[in-house]
Amino acid sequence: MTCAPVKSLLEPYLDEELDAVQRAQVAEHLAACGSCAEMHARLLELRTAIRAHAPYYRAPASLPQRIRFSLRQANRPAAGPWRRIAIAAAILLSASAAWNVALFRWHTSHADLIAQNVLSSHVRSLMGAHLLDVPSSDRHTVKPWFNGKLDFSPNVRDLAAQGFPLIGGRMDYVDDRPVAVLVYQRRQHVVNLFTWPAAASAGKEFSRNGYQAAGWNTGGMAYWAISDIGAAELRQFESLYKQ
Amino acid sequence: MKAAPNLALFEKAMLPHLDAAYNLARWLTRNEDDAQDVVQEAYLRAFHFFDGFRGGDGRAWLLAVVRNTALTWLRRERGSTHVSFDEEMHVPAAAAATVETKLVEGAKFAELRNCLDLLPLEFREAVVMRELEEMPYRDIAEAASVPIGTVMSRLSRARQRLQDCLAARLREASE
Repeated sequence: MTCAPVKSLLEPYLDEELDAVQRAQVAEHLAACGSCAEMHARLLELRTAIRAHAPYYRAPASLPQRIRFSLRQANRPAAGPWRRIAIAAAILLSASAAWNVALFRWHTSHADLIAQNVLSSHVRSLMGAHLLDVPSSDRHTVKPWFNGKLDFSPNVRDLAAQGFPLIGGRMDYVDDRPVAVLVYQRRQHVVNLFTWPAAASAGKEFSRNGYQAAGWNTGGMAYWAISDIGAAELRQFESLYKQ
Repeated sequence: MKAAPNLALFEKAMLPHLDAAYNLARWLTRNEDDAQDVVQEAYLRAFHFFDGFRGGDGRAWLLAVVRNTALTWLRRERGSTHVSFDEEMHVPAAAAATVETKLVEGAKFAELRNCLDLLPLEFREAVVMRELEEMPYRDIAEAASVPIGTVMSRLSRARQRLQDCLAARLREASE
């Protein structure tokens, strides 16, 4: 081979895109031709410099989770466990007239009404209507968002390091008043934490249709956490949040 | 009603390429936050079009989506794609600060990144996919939606420009 064809093959040679015959021909020419060998050496030098000095930007550690979450948001009405939740919720809501007495035979005490509000709000939030008003994993974004919307400021805690990353917050309506809902994630599960100012009225656990809920009061605030994670994990969430 | 693609299958096929997606988005947008948003949007789009994925190289298929998302993003954010092929190599103001810097490793690192960032988008993405992702021409062609011959000529021109840019920087630094 002469220099002209070899020069046009130098980069495919470098990029290992030549077949065995061409590769052998180029190699043979490079061994004999100083000027082509020098061009090849400069290309090789450039490659070495790029691979040594151009940063390979790896995805931030939080990105996979963010993507998984947004995929689930987008996918919610159509597939997987979300479909089952949506169907279950639709059935529950269509039976809402019979909700307290016939379906669950709940007492209509005040605390039970609140628990019922919390459960139906949780189910509704998973149906895709309204999970997050402020999607953010930063508590310094979530907390101020409630300013001016509520007559109290919720205690927003970041529990990402403990396995319950904050994913945002929303406003909701429970116990005849607007409340703050802080939304956390546990693997693929959503934990809704409802909070509003109240004297002692919560302080109980319940388990209904695969949902776990826990209520407590601290510092003049009522809290209800609800999710489809197990009771032990929800208690773990409660104690982490209280710390 | 069109059946939704299987989310578990999609994640299994595409999440392993997250670093490749982010690296390309980061080089195209030249910005960390934009890159994250682009990648998130690209995954949503890719999921939507996952039925169109016929197997083969998932990385090239995903990078084609990332690339298109990034181009749309840049167009929206900056008012233009800014895909220029002007032959003049612009030297940014920041380069002046490096003139007196000796060519230690740190400087070489910065020079190389600057020179890469100065490349037109089509050249930059070709270099990123070839040298950092080590993709074959065929996959780069698929990701960039161009024939293989175009990939070869873009890579060649990109390398020429990088060599010229680095040589100019080295000269400046040693003067």
